Amino acid sequence: MLEIRNVKKNFKNLEVLKDVSLVVEDGEVVVILGPSGSGKTTLLRCISFLERADEGSMKLGDTEVNLKRATKRQINELRKNMAFVFQNYNLFANKTVLENVMEGLTVARKVPKKEAEERALEALEWVGVLNKKDAYPSELSGGQQQRVGIARAVVLNPEVILFDEPTSALDPELVGDILDVIKNVAKKGITMVVVTHEMSFAQEVASKVVFMDGGVVVESGTPNQIFFYPKEERTKKFLERIIPQDQYYI
Amino acid sequence: MRGFRWDIFIEFFVKVLPYLYVTAIYVVSSVFFGFLIGLCVAMLRLSKRKVLRLIGSLYVTILRSVPSVVLLFIIYYGLPMWLRSSFGIVMGDTDTIIYVIVTFSLILGSSMSEIIRTSYLSVPHGQYEAAVMVGLKPTQAILRIVFPQGFIVALPNLGNIFIFMMKEGALAYTIGLHDVLGRGMYLGGLKANIYNLELYLALALIYWPCTMILDKVFKIWEKKLRSKYLRQREKAC
Repeated sequence: MLEIRNVKKNFKNLEVLKDVSLVVEDGEVVVILGPSGSGKTTLLRCISFLERADEGSMKLGDTEVNLKRATKRQINELRKNMAFVFQNYNLFANKTVLENVMEGLTVARKVPKKEAEERALEALEWVGVLNKKDAYPSELSGGQQQRVGIARAVVLNPEVILFDEPTSALDPELVGDILDVIKNVAKKGITMVVVTHEMSFAQEVASKVVFMDGGVVVESGTPNQIFFYPKEERTKKFLERIIPQDQYYI
Repeated sequence: MRGFRWDIFIEFFVKVLPYLYVTAIYVVSSVFFGFLIGLCVAMLRLSKRKVLRLIGSLYVTILRSVPSVVLLFIIYYGLPMWLRSSFGIVMGDTDTIIYVIVTFSLILGSSMSEIIRTSYLSVPHGQYEAAVMVGLKPTQAILRIVFPQGFIVALPNLGNIFIFMMKEGALAYTIGLHDVLGRGMYLGGLKANIYNLELYLALALIYWPCTMILDKVFKIWEKKLRSKYLRQREKAC
């Protein structure tokens, strides 16, 4: 279980997160929606310590830490129980696809090389880029890179995977394929927190939808509750603006 | 008017050539220590704390604005005095090369800090973030992911640093070091400086292939590393 309490984060004078709390049960897929600048990405980055929150605490599994005062060691330990899929993939350009996926196993978790390779190959096959295992990231398309990004996260067998707008940088025609891969991750029963603008994905996959705006959680609930019976005015306004657009594209 | 004396030209060349190792010693050590200093200064300049950044850029500014010769003499006169009064260490006459290495390590430290800083910044920060997120420690992320990529970007500049050091280091003659230039001038003096044209042409002939070799070595090295994965990146762009 991932539990986040009272996270606050300012960038200089800008309050990006104003007291955000979130509970993610094991096996749950939580989708965070909201307009740009609402603090979704910052929340993920605070959970993963890529940004230091100004206040707040987090509990993952049995480990509980203060987000502001966590030591380097605690951060490193916590990160071994989570994985992150980035918007722009961030594959290691100096490593092959296979090495990219193995890195976290062999170096950080001291998994024997042979076992790591087997697991990595399995993960690559699972996301459908096994034939590219010896290529360098620069030789791959965006969609292939993101598949590797997902394999790199899944292979670590983490307690939770954080997805930060995983399809936003992709060509529109590739978005569906990657969403299918992410759906398969969800089917595996891995706990996930996904920041996305893909409404249909949220509707289909999420067990819980969280709507954020202006640095706070405006409301959260099942996809049904949020999409069809939103309580808050801000949620309604956001959905009105988003959903017709979606239909327009279809 | 006398003619060009090839025999003396060759004599100078042969007699000075063995002193190339002195030049090599201060070039290699200055670049090495300069790299360490540059690394520290680059870290200061990349720091989140304003004070540290200021110290870093102050170092670069100060060292960049002093001619090498001036700094060389400051070290030459100042270092023994300081070592003696602070640590009771007395420097001997044979330690001239140490002043040269200290001086140029300090100077190269400032230019290397810039090279290191820009190479570091050339590697997308997201890769560092991805590395720590798969569980690597920050130092592992730097050494395994950021450094190998930044190094390739730094290589051409690093080659230039070596060449710069070899040429600028010749100033060591001013404090009496017998490197290539120093030894040459000494030998020229023994012949009452009559054959100085022969002498300096011989010296040029020693420096010239060294520069070429260094240049070539770094070009090949860079090409070799780059061909591995960066070439493909460029093709993709």
